[in-house]
Amino acid sequence: MKLQFWGVRGYVPTPGAAYLGYGGNTCCVVIYGAHDELLVLDSGTGFCRFGDELMQREFGEGRGELTLLISHTYWDHLLGLPFPGLVHTPGNKLKIYGPDSTRGSLRMVYDGILSPVYSPVYGLAHMAATHSFEPISTHPLQVGGLKVRAMPLSQHKHSPIWAYRIEEHGRTVVYMTDVRYSDAQIWRKAVHFAEGATVLIHSAPYTRAEEVEDYGHSRVEDAIEVAQEAHVEQLLLYHHAPTRTDAQLDALVAHYRAELVAMGSLLRLEAAREGPIIEV
Amino acid sequence: MRVRIWGTRGSYPVAHRSMLRYGGNTTCVEVRTTKRCIMLDAGTGLRLLGDALAAEPAPPRQLDLLMTHTHWDHIIGFPFFQPIYQPEYRIDIFGMARTQSTLRTTLANALTDPLLPMSLEDLRAELHFHEIDQGSCFNLGSVEVSTARTNHPYRALAYRLETEAASLVFIPDTGPFHTVLFGDERINWQGRPTDSDVELQELAAMREAIIELARDADWMLYDAQFTDAQYAQFPHWGHSTASQAREIAEAAGVRELLLFHHDPHRSDDELDAIVAAQSALARPPLVIRAAFEGMVLDKEEAL
Repeated sequence: MKLQFWGVRGYVPTPGAAYLGYGGNTCCVVIYGAHDELLVLDSGTGFCRFGDELMQREFGEGRGELTLLISHTYWDHLLGLPFPGLVHTPGNKLKIYGPDSTRGSLRMVYDGILSPVYSPVYGLAHMAATHSFEPISTHPLQVGGLKVRAMPLSQHKHSPIWAYRIEEHGRTVVYMTDVRYSDAQIWRKAVHFAEGATVLIHSAPYTRAEEVEDYGHSRVEDAIEVAQEAHVEQLLLYHHAPTRTDAQLDALVAHYRAELVAMGSLLRLEAAREGPIIEV
Repeated sequence: MRVRIWGTRGSYPVAHRSMLRYGGNTTCVEVRTTKRCIMLDAGTGLRLLGDALAAEPAPPRQLDLLMTHTHWDHIIGFPFFQPIYQPEYRIDIFGMARTQSTLRTTLANALTDPLLPMSLEDLRAELHFHEIDQGSCFNLGSVEVSTARTNHPYRALAYRLETEAASLVFIPDTGPFHTVLFGDERINWQGRPTDSDVELQELAAMREAIIELARDADWMLYDAQFTDAQYAQFPHWGHSTASQAREIAEAAGVRELLLFHHDPHRSDDELDAIVAAQSALARPPLVIRAAFEGMVLDKEEAL
């Protein structure tokens, strides 16, 4: 299984030289299975550039298939969907999994963002690629050789936020974003869900010391504590704050690595970076 | 009049190495006079403008936001614009009157669960919404604002801002006026330009009104998203090419054309080449440049 980040930024894209090292596009992670399975986690603006790359492959001829797993429907996880040419190319197939909100199904949310006041697409009916919205549940799901499990972790207002666990050949990637550990039960669920993961991708826009409005996020220290408690091999901090420059992220990672070393932890810590392909 | 460009990109913001000079933030322009701060569109550039205002020793507390339309790339900066959370600010928001949804509702729905956790009612700035239309004329302090309709899906507005010192025309999204007539309905492009006399007359009238709006302007920011090849493939998305922008600028006698709403795939080097090619064709005294993030255009009022 391979892993590639196309968007690592949270809240809003951050173009600019100071952010290029880690990347400034919003949430999108791609998982490649051993048998060419294609899983995409969230469709922030990172999905647009990934879509360009896919158009150079079978998607350009309308023969592509991908599975999209949506954690929740906030802008930074959603708005990249309608732009890439692949969704407007007949023949391509998109299977979209994600939670319904109490204010509307996932399909309704996507349809709404494509309505003419917001988008020249004029609604899902005009997205030419074949697309289906599948209800997400905690029952395991098989995408080729990839085993996917999903779990509702927390709830922000009307929007449930789901985490995903993807396994292949005994290696595991866990994707947890926008979770807030507002009570001990959520914390225990998260630790249980991440147990033994090879890689844990965890949102961590701010540290506990920073006094900012984070709109329902856990902090860097929470991510590290979950990873340690769950015996994770490698933690990738994700959903970087829009103000966080490359230099600040470097310093932040160095600081927490030193803390981990000092406490004798074997947890490997990195900040997620757009571009490189990571062998899991 | 002092103009500062905060976002130049169209469709969606892009963070990419090849686009650092022209910038990856979506549409947003600031226009300042001695007393007024007018903002054109609320793309991701608006976030940076908000941060810059916060750093000013005495920022203007009255802000005016003129919206051409509410496609995502033109509103995505709004919730990240810090002044909306501060009670010291009054923000007047102008946009096109629609039958489907009010301007207020359109913005409110975009900010609210399940798309975002905010609510318009929670914003602490004093917000006033004003629904306007093509042909509207009004004053913001000493700035005269006038509008026309552009040829874009679900229609959009073009703005002209005029002071005694200078005039700026803002047309970030429009198709040309010979292939497709856009209205409120979706265009089902069949590969053939319209041959309806009624539509061609309406397009000609729209073009005339745009040229009137832009007449003798000092600066015109104009949609130049597409290459000729892209336009041939996607005329139904409602964007123009650089040569179509130049043709309008020449017809209107604009002094300086600033290519705008850059395609999210267009690299800095490609934009340089487009500017060089169009400059070589430009009828003097027209000057052509491509707008970039951080660009400042300045013409002072006579004291």
